Amino acid sequence: MANGLLVGALYGLVALGFALLMGVMKFLNTAHGTFIILGGYLSYWLLELWGIDPFLSLPLVVMAMFLVGIAFYKLALSPLLKLPNIGMRINTSMLITFGSIWVLDNTMTVLWTPDVRSVMTPYTGQTLKLLGVRFSLTGLGGVGVAVLVALALYFILSGTYFGKHIRAATQDAVAASLCGINVQRTYLFSCGIAIALAGVAGMVVVSSYSISSTAGIGWLSSAFVVMVLAGEGNINAIIPAGMVLGLIESAGLLVVGVSYRQAIALIVFIIVLMIKPQGLFAKKEYGS
Amino acid sequence: MHWKKLSILGVLIAVFLVPPLIWDIGTSVLNLLIMLFIYIILAQSWNLMGGYTGQINLGLAAFFGCGTLVTHFIWKAGLPFYLAMAAGGVAAMVLAVIIGLPTLRLKGMYFGIGTFALAEVCRIVVGGTFHRMLKMPSSYVASYNLISRYYVAFVVATLAVVVVYLVTHSKLGLGMVAVRDDETAAQVTGVNTFKCKVLALFISALLAGLAGGVFAYLRLSFHFIFMMFSPVWTFEPLMAAIIGGAGTLAGPIIGSVFLVILSEVFALKLGEAHLIIFGLLFVLIVMYFPYGLVGSVGRISQRIRGVGRGMSQGK
Repeated sequence: MANGLLVGALYGLVALGFALLMGVMKFLNTAHGTFIILGGYLSYWLLELWGIDPFLSLPLVVMAMFLVGIAFYKLALSPLLKLPNIGMRINTSMLITFGSIWVLDNTMTVLWTPDVRSVMTPYTGQTLKLLGVRFSLTGLGGVGVAVLVALALYFILSGTYFGKHIRAATQDAVAASLCGINVQRTYLFSCGIAIALAGVAGMVVVSSYSISSTAGIGWLSSAFVVMVLAGEGNINAIIPAGMVLGLIESAGLLVVGVSYRQAIALIVFIIVLMIKPQGLFAKKEYGS
Repeated sequence: MHWKKLSILGVLIAVFLVPPLIWDIGTSVLNLLIMLFIYIILAQSWNLMGGYTGQINLGLAAFFGCGTLVTHFIWKAGLPFYLAMAAGGVAAMVLAVIIGLPTLRLKGMYFGIGTFALAEVCRIVVGGTFHRMLKMPSSYVASYNLISRYYVAFVVATLAVVVVYLVTHSKLGLGMVAVRDDETAAQVTGVNTFKCKVLALFISALLAGLAGGVFAYLRLSFHFIFMMFSPVWTFEPLMAAIIGGAGTLAGPIIGSVFLVILSEVFALKLGEAHLIIFGLLFVLIVMYFPYGLVGSVGRISQRIRGVGRGMSQGK
């Protein structure tokens, strides 16, 4: 059960950048999982080549992935803003990012072979006893990172001018640009942030689990389910929703075998869509 | 006009029907043609949902794999192959109900997400359930001949094209196109949009399941059955449909031919890397030629002749 919370926080972290892109900018980024793996590779190689601890290399990974995100937005996503309506933007971005999965996945396979990688640090596998339950150290670190990142994102979105710009651009891009907000730049930076968040998630994934060049798709479906649980556009609820999913999964694992773990997530997804499609934590607007 | 089309179709059918009977065209060519037919079925299946109805299916592999798996087991149980293949198609439809009913009531995005997650879950669950290699008993292997596979694939592919033609030229087809172009407007004018989408999904899943059946007929053994659910089986038909032109009848066929030739050229030389090229090509086509080969040619000639109001904007 307690480990369900650890996994759940990771699910939340995985979904955070995805939900930011989808909820704020209406780009459905199916390549999000692949960017997570890319971030994971970055921190893996930083450790292997230069011996930088994954948790310390986080700023480097974030900066690199931010640049990747900006490049990705410029190359693939910004042309979509010309499309006449939101529905087409979502559909076309779905297709474009789906194509990008193949480009990125296979580039990573060619560059770094399809081997499964994970980092080994002195504290990997060590546990910490907390309230009578044993937690793995890397898992706890992951939760810490997830909560910190989510809080930071919350403050950016609700406390800064940039966050206001993002929210204004979400609600009405035309009106926002009439009020003097540079919508293009706002989108550009939010996309950078979203991909940087994928990088953070990748670092946590590689420190507690393992990565391989084609594993991104699996993380993507977790991100989907968490976003549906939280409700589209409801970014503050992402981490709690991830924890809910983690708890449901670990409870479900007691009933069925480990190989059916993903099926539990799908069932949760279907039930939520049938009963409460606006999400469990749905509110009219986030942050208010 | 109608007779011209029909005679072209007749010539095409004769070209594919006769030669394998008369002379030996070699197993590699035969295999290639069978794969081409499977791609045509899958691409038409995707086209019906993605091209005509505007609901992007990112989990075609789920239906395809389900068809393969069910056909394989029912055929192995001793039933005639045709029944097994039909059962595979029906099983794919059942899978479609599970994901279609909750997601198609909502915005289009949820259908894409739902089918994607479905394929992924199928892949992992099937991979966890069947660890060992699956194969047909040796009596089936002894009576294996490629010509019968060729004709089954050809018949199903022709069937798929005919079904898509009939559906899109019916009232249902008009409803589907209306849903794609503007769902709200369609609803207001009295189209039962949910019914249209669900029926389109049913037919699409049935076709994908039948393609899976053909594949189970072609391959008698599967080292890793979960590979049938791999996203490659979504991506390549999707790419064929989009390259050729989604929302047209000829598009997916031309796209499939293009794709099969291209993968034949690249896969041997480049191995894994050929998917990078495919991915790039796909992204570029979605971005700059959203109407595909057929659609772009049609639009250009339309503009030259100055007739028609141009193709619809939706996709």
